[in-house]
Amino acid sequence: MVRYIIRRLLSFIPVLFAISLVIFMMARALPGGPFDFAGDRTIPASVVANLEQKYHLDWPVWRQYLAWVWDALRGDLGPSFYYRSLTVNDLLKQTLPTSFQLGVLSLGLALIIGIPAGTIAALKHNKAADHASSFVAIMGVSIPNIVLAPLLIYIFAVLLGWLPAARWGADYTDYALGFIPPLNRQFWEHAIMPVLVLGTALTAVIARLTRGSLLQVLREDYIRTARAKGLREKSVVGIHAMKNAIIPVITILGPLFAAIVTGTFVIEQIFGINGMGQHFIDSINNRDYPVVMGTLLVYSVILVVANLFVDIAYAWLDPRIRYE
Amino acid sequence: MKSKLLTFMGLLVLAGLVLGACAQPAADDSQVTELQAQLDAALADAGASDEEIAALQEQLETAKEAAAAAAAAAAEAVPAEEPMEPQPVTLDYNFGTEPPTADPSLATDTTSSNLIGSIFMGLTDQDDVTKEIVPSLATSWASSEDKTVWTFQLRDDIPWVQYNTTTGEVDPVLDDDGNPRIVNANDVVYGVKRTCDPNTASDYAWLLYSIKGCEALNSADPSAEDFQDVYGAMSVVALDDFTVEFTTEFGAGFFPGVVSMANLYPTPQWIIEDKGDRWIEPGFIVTNGAYVMSEWVHGDHLILEKNPLWPLWGTDYGSGNIERIFGVTIEEASTSFAMYQNDELDTAGVPLEEVDRVKAEMASEFKNSPINCTYYYGFVTEKPPTDDVRVRKALSMGIDRATLVETVTKGGQIPANTFTNPLNFGQHAEDPDIAPWALTEEKGGTGYAKAVEMGKGLLAEAGFPNGAGLDILLMHNVSEGHARIAQAVQAMWQEAYPEMTVSVETQEWRVYLDTIRASSAIEQVPNVFRLGWCGDYPHANNWMHEVFNPDEGANRIRLSVDDPQVGDLVKEYAETTVAAQVASPAEADALYKRAEILLNDEIVGIAPIYYYTTVNVTKPWLERSFDQIKRHFFQWELDWDAKQAALEQ
Amino acid sequence: MAVAGTPEELDRLRTTQEVARRGRSPLADAFRQLLKNRLAVASGLFLIFVVFVSVFADDALISIFTGKEVEPLIAPYHFAEVNFRLHDQGPLTRTEEGDFYLLGVDYLGRDMLSRTIYGGRVSLSIAIVAATVSLVIGVAYGIISGYSSPRVDNLMMRFVDFLYGFPLIIFIILLQVYFKALARSGSAEGIAGFFIGIDNAFGGMFFLFIAIGLLNWLAMARIARGQTLSAKEKEYVDAAKSVGASDRRIVSKHILPNIIGPCIIYETLQIPTYIFLEAFLSFIGLGVNPPTPSWGIMISETYRGLRTFPHEVFVPAAALVLVVLAFNFLGDGLRDAFDPRLRGS
Repeated sequence: MVRYIIRRLLSFIPVLFAISLVIFMMARALPGGPFDFAGDRTIPASVVANLEQKYHLDWPVWRQYLAWVWDALRGDLGPSFYYRSLTVNDLLKQTLPTSFQLGVLSLGLALIIGIPAGTIAALKHNKAADHASSFVAIMGVSIPNIVLAPLLIYIFAVLLGWLPAARWGADYTDYALGFIPPLNRQFWEHAIMPVLVLGTALTAVIARLTRGSLLQVLREDYIRTARAKGLREKSVVGIHAMKNAIIPVITILGPLFAAIVTGTFVIEQIFGINGMGQHFIDSINNRDYPVVMGTLLVYSVILVVANLFVDIAYAWLDPRIRYE
Repeated sequence: MKSKLLTFMGLLVLAGLVLGACAQPAADDSQVTELQAQLDAALADAGASDEEIAALQEQLETAKEAAAAAAAAAAEAVPAEEPMEPQPVTLDYNFGTEPPTADPSLATDTTSSNLIGSIFMGLTDQDDVTKEIVPSLATSWASSEDKTVWTFQLRDDIPWVQYNTTTGEVDPVLDDDGNPRIVNANDVVYGVKRTCDPNTASDYAWLLYSIKGCEALNSADPSAEDFQDVYGAMSVVALDDFTVEFTTEFGAGFFPGVVSMANLYPTPQWIIEDKGDRWIEPGFIVTNGAYVMSEWVHGDHLILEKNPLWPLWGTDYGSGNIERIFGVTIEEASTSFAMYQNDELDTAGVPLEEVDRVKAEMASEFKNSPINCTYYYGFVTEKPPTDDVRVRKALSMGIDRATLVETVTKGGQIPANTFTNPLNFGQHAEDPDIAPWALTEEKGGTGYAKAVEMGKGLLAEAGFPNGAGLDILLMHNVSEGHARIAQAVQAMWQEAYPEMTVSVETQEWRVYLDTIRASSAIEQVPNVFRLGWCGDYPHANNWMHEVFNPDEGANRIRLSVDDPQVGDLVKEYAETTVAAQVASPAEADALYKRAEILLNDEIVGIAPIYYYTTVNVTKPWLERSFDQIKRHFFQWELDWDAKQAALEQ
Repeated sequence: MAVAGTPEELDRLRTTQEVARRGRSPLADAFRQLLKNRLAVASGLFLIFVVFVSVFADDALISIFTGKEVEPLIAPYHFAEVNFRLHDQGPLTRTEEGDFYLLGVDYLGRDMLSRTIYGGRVSLSIAIVAATVSLVIGVAYGIISGYSSPRVDNLMMRFVDFLYGFPLIIFIILLQVYFKALARSGSAEGIAGFFIGIDNAFGGMFFLFIAIGLLNWLAMARIARGQTLSAKEKEYVDAAKSVGASDRRIVSKHILPNIIGPCIIYETLQIPTYIFLEAFLSFIGLGVNPPTPSWGIMISETYRGLRTFPHEVFVPAAALVLVVLAFNFLGDGLRDAFDPRLRGS
């Protein structure tokens, strides 16, 4: 197992290199550059030349890439072209922890509700509880965030006045160790709505997946065997069935985790949360190449690591899966 | 298995809590003092790197917070004896987006200008009500006969200040002799030259090219031997401590307007050279305006505090009473509006979709105010079929501007028949001599029905009876508002000229600007593109000359003196806007009228659509002004008692 | 089938059953099973109805043969028919000219019912095409990866990791820019010309389909692989191996039927994601060209006016929710139908 993990970790290196190279080329293939225009004004060539010289955009592309890799290896992801006094490291430090908190809370909510809901639905297959939980789950996933979020803001902030309308309850200057927020009332008040909106869709996905996969497992031969042997239903479901049924859930958790904790544009936009999702979209629109590279690099690293954990979890959950 | 999982998750939560608790060490004041000393030492030590300083500052902040928390806990335990300090009069405001910069030389957008205008002051300013250029840092100015040499007399009582992040006080900045530094002519010279300096790499350096030597400096190679000479040769000089003189390339009557832009503000040379790109962070930044920046949490909020050392408080110019501005950076209009309704903001914009209801239900808080921008459709005059002036004119006639602003844009916008916005010198908005078919009958125009008849006649003449055979590609950049207008115009054209076909295409902003640039291949460009223009300074030169003079602006409409139909008119247009620069005000006004007729009625390079407004709601306890270039927070008045009473309910 | 026994016995038992059922394809079997599920049948019928309505919103298909101009057929009005004076009127609006708008009109006075019917074209085709592409590629890739040796598996999964890092939005901007520029320049010949022809027929969204399909099979592949890894260690696979079954037979007869259930469920749950993705892309300007409607764009254009003109948001949102519900119930039915062990239960 240890050898497997080491091998996997080593295999990340070429993957990350390949990703960064492709993104680097793609970002530069987009029409329009970061300094062609200020607003809708065309900038004269001499001004553009000054800017390109300052940010080394006048170098050949291969040299720009190598310079980027060299700096990135030393932990410096470069300056932002749009926020002229900030670096990509600053932007990541400011936005990633917030997105991470929002993502982890939503995912946690989704797991805590989704897995039991899916389990109940499967055990009561085709009974009222099943239909009810399926229906709720499906509704959750089919109401677009873009409708649900303004609706919640209207009800709980404008109409009832119970919750603040927007923003995150803490910012990067408050975070302990750079990512743990103060878990005070202000934090939770602000977190409720965005976590709920993001969490409902995730809960639905997880509940449905759990139900589907548990239903299948419950009909497996070994479960019949276990039941026939007279094991208690609780241990049959809890231990034998769940272990296998959870595998598809764990599988999507890898990419889901990576996508969620690195920010979700719509929710960050509507709730005015300073997260990484917005910066990613903005950086593409602004052709802010270093920020594009930096956010995608962080995402890729989280993704490959999350997928490694997923594969380790496979082996833990189902000993028949072997990595040699 | 399940229990295992639950245990695991429980452990995670526990670990998080423990970490959270540990991360707030019980710091006391001695720790704060010690760290502060270290930080001061590091700041004094020129060799200390930015990282070290930043790290120290961070530690200091943490320690301070912890100390403050401990103090607060202690205060809670023992009933406070001292009465609570009165809260400052606080404005809750939405900047609308994270300001890209607070560096005057680098500012290119309105958000940055609003921030910079609040913490810095420039030579001149524009009055919110009269829209005139008024004194600010300069008390008076004069020009030579030919308007090429401009001298500005400066105030001698504006100090440079710095916010002290430890004490929370605004400190005067002292010079080497221990005297407060007063903003002087050299600071202005440095600020202006810094914008033109190629090392600064300012996007907006070219706006200063009208100053003699700026273009040469901006194009110079910083490593060349004669660079210092070029730098010195730029014609902005300090005649004495409080007199600064500019020489312009040509007689520019609008120059006092140009110096109201942030890019020409005075800046503190010593701190910029010391701190580099980070000089604009709170704690470092040295400013001279009505407010100081005490906190800037990037992407979330920034806090401005009243600068008590600013001598203009209490005068007409600084008549406001706001002591603190808590500025958030919410981009989503509907969210900002919800925050306003939830009393989290004192003033906010209204989303287009809500305008009808808000106008009816919150009439007393609702206000739309004109801003110095014009929305227009440009014609690519080289691409068939819009290479025919009759087709362009018919298309411009086919837009029912009055219906458009009333039913689609809804914000009280004014239908436009000229390019220059009414808030500028040299404007001729709603003059029925110019493109009368764009105006309603009440305003002396022909009205839409007649315009369409005329348009049909022109199309028939051009060989497209009823629009048959006319195939137009209309392009706009991505935005709901633009999409609504484009779809409405598409429908109007198709109703007016039923046989024509109009296709609409949208593109992402940067791709769009790349597509419509004058140099892109004729197959790639659309026939019609949408753009807006907002004035940098309130003068028609910024519009007619800088945007559409074919020798000057981007020339996206591809005007050419070789055009078989309108070549002579283009030549006349180019000469007119140049002549207007040096003409007397009365002559210039007449010349700009001629230019408007040429652009909108005879060449028909563009179809102006409307003059912009902003639509805002403001709480009854706030009295604000509506501005052109920057927000004048220091002139706003807030009834603090009324606000607090409302918040407590 | 409450027979307890060793896995080998059970496997033998099922083989016997399969033999007994010979003459009926598994597909026909699944279909019979599906028909027993009333909710799934109703959902299926509803979806067929929605597809029918949006396909025959106008007589475009018929006019190919008759050569006449396209006229609205089921939809009361054309989706781009504007009536400025009426803008934003709510449901059940009747005008003096005798026009009737059942669900009201939008901000330009266009009939909401007609736009919702037409909007189904974009939203449904993106759902169907993207889901199919993703399911087929993802399951095939996942099974191959999971069933192959660990070395190959590792390599294939690293490729998936690599593709995951691919920024969808940049990819789509590039596709759109490239093909739209090509289409405008008129130099569209050969393969590019062929694609541009298709793109025009799809209202400028063909590349969206491709992009979304091509980039969304990755999660599917990981699910299919995870399931395969687990399934290939199962007793019945060992049993099949021991009687000398070929890999191909094991995959198609034993693994595929056993893993397809969760895959289909996951895919049906992805359908709203595709529809929302289309809306999101339209929102940032990479979707359908206006005034072509899609449910996603109709929602994202009007959500800010939720309180002022609720019908403009809720009509397309209701259409979307209903279709997604139907896809989910149908997905459930399909899962049950494809699960061999549920047969007869």
